Amino acid sequence: MSRAARRLLFVVLWLLLADCFVPPILQRAEHARYEGSVPFRFENSDLFALGPMVRYLREHPHGERRRAMFLGNSIVFGYGIPARDAVPAQFEALAGNTRVFNAAINGQELGDSYLVGKSVIDSVDTLFVQLIDREGARPVLGTLIPVDDDDARRFHVERRSAVETTLRSLLGRVWRLYAVNDRLQAALFGTSTRQYLYLHKKELLRGRAPEAPGATASNAPPVTLSAAHNGSGPLPRTLLDLAAVAKARRKRLVVLDFQSKGNAAAVADFNTAYAPYAEIVTIVVPDALEYDRMHFTAAGAHAVAAALVAHEAAR
Amino acid sequence: MIFTDLRFVLLFALCWATFFAVPRGWRTATLAVWGMIFYVTYAGPFIGIVLLLAVAALFAPAPLAGFLIVGVLIYVKLGRVAIVPLGISYLAFELLHVVIERRRGRMTKPAWCDLLGFVFFAPARIAGPIKRLPPFLAAVEEAELSAENVYAGLLRILLGLAKKFIFADVLALTVAEAGYVATMRHAWIIVLAFSFQLFLDFSAYSDIAIGFARILGIRLPENFNWPYLAANIREFWERWHITLSQWVRDYIFVPCGRALFRTRLRPWPNVIAAISYLVTFAIVGAWHGLTAAFVLWGVYHGALLATYHVARLKMPPRITDHPWYDSRALRTLGILTTFLLVTIGWVPFFLPLGKSLHLWSLMFGFSR
Repeated sequence: MSRAARRLLFVVLWLLLADCFVPPILQRAEHARYEGSVPFRFENSDLFALGPMVRYLREHPHGERRRAMFLGNSIVFGYGIPARDAVPAQFEALAGNTRVFNAAINGQELGDSYLVGKSVIDSVDTLFVQLIDREGARPVLGTLIPVDDDDARRFHVERRSAVETTLRSLLGRVWRLYAVNDRLQAALFGTSTRQYLYLHKKELLRGRAPEAPGATASNAPPVTLSAAHNGSGPLPRTLLDLAAVAKARRKRLVVLDFQSKGNAAAVADFNTAYAPYAEIVTIVVPDALEYDRMHFTAAGAHAVAAALVAHEAAR
Repeated sequence: MIFTDLRFVLLFALCWATFFAVPRGWRTATLAVWGMIFYVTYAGPFIGIVLLLAVAALFAPAPLAGFLIVGVLIYVKLGRVAIVPLGISYLAFELLHVVIERRRGRMTKPAWCDLLGFVFFAPARIAGPIKRLPPFLAAVEEAELSAENVYAGLLRILLGLAKKFIFADVLALTVAEAGYVATMRHAWIIVLAFSFQLFLDFSAYSDIAIGFARILGIRLPENFNWPYLAANIREFWERWHITLSQWVRDYIFVPCGRALFRTRLRPWPNVIAAISYLVTFAIVGAWHGLTAAFVLWGVYHGALLATYHVARLKMPPRITDHPWYDSRALRTLGILTTFLLVTIGWVPFFLPLGKSLHLWSLMFGFSR
């Protein structure tokens, strides 16, 4: 046997050996990521971890705690503030026995929230969805999460090639590391390896461990949940469809209207039609709690989270 | 990335199995068939354009074939099509090489299956290297099935994947910060990141292409040789995108210089060299994209090469004969200077002209 052939054999054996350790490592890493207490967010608004998160939730429909998921754009994401200071993480800190997934992405539209929400609704107890005018969805979503054919046509999302999907499935059966490499990255780093290296390059270059997120205390003035609605016209069809899904599955859907976009009559009709499952709440945030008249400061996010926790507790 | 798509890997595995199963005389036809399946898989109807250009290179008179190939390339580069046919820039230069060499009488008419095997050779169809027909056919003929080739090829592919996914794609995230750059320090960080990202990304594609070819036992020409260790701009172009540099040298620079020697510029060879460099690299810029920014990048490199050429020839002997002239310190200084000049020049390569000017003004403190 030539030297090159021996080396090839060594590489194959090494891969086979390494593959044996993949399932337990993945199980531990995913448990820590999705059931632990580190604030969950798609850092840098990178969609890489969306697919792994959805797959985990669908495989584990019941968590160790109640589950809530926030969907929306940069306002919910917490643009400009750390993950621990965004509304979802502060909600988790205040609500107690609830694991919160911040699945908001900068620039997300209602179609994105609909597709993601629909794919995980059986695995979460409460969905918080931001009311956004635009109803589009990112084309790439169709390759990341389960999307049925009707929704794919409706939102013009891409589909993965059937040949590629079959080949992936076949190869994944014999090479586990290949099958779960994205899940492993998402579980270990919370994002792709490249995003992790990019986001933590300074700490990594200086040999320091990345800063561990912690809880933020706040003495912010309270925000109010208002019944006032300034919008006109009907509510987005996508929102009505998501509410219908929530009602059919008997899940709680809270629609967050940060800019009073809803039409008062339409909101009242919505809240009546889908009660007690779906509800639109209008959140009035003082200007002092927004750093650019749109995005919340840490104190603003804390106040919003506190109002939502109180609202849910009052039900 | 097509190289990591399982359909590509499957097609390549089937190509590899049949390539060594058929008699040597059928090898190019095998490469042509699998290459066409690959091209249809990833570029669909554009295979018609590739076949048309290949037929033109084979049967049409050289001026007509050349006109057709360059015309299609310009049409595509002008952005007149929504989707650019896969690897059309590399394909055009490979076919032009065949047309020109046949016109010069240095190459006989190739067999159609040899030409199609050359044109549709999948590993090099995505991002080069730019091949030449005679050495490619010789490499196919000599290709041997061996564990050595498979191991060396896999290792090269692994190197390319690591360069691309671990380093280049991480640096790309820093480059993306160009959208909101506001300080001199940030501007320099972004430009330096792009300098390394481009090298790592592009050379990764070459590594993977060379690796796949090596698994077949076919040696493709190298495309990069530590370009950022070049001590002057001429050496840089001998180390960066080598197959493109050699192509433009043979088919643009030298013919341009010869043509100018037949004009009234004959007494001024330095002027002829300078014009030839500028013309050649303006075309190189346009080959990357028919935009003002790419052409500016090309002209910038043409000007650097022309300046270096003239400065080298005009250098007084008291300097060139001085022992310090060949010292390690001066070479290090040359490497740093060349890298800096090349890096500054990359700005219009990744930003439109207006944004390039803004980034340059930030880099040099003219803008706050």
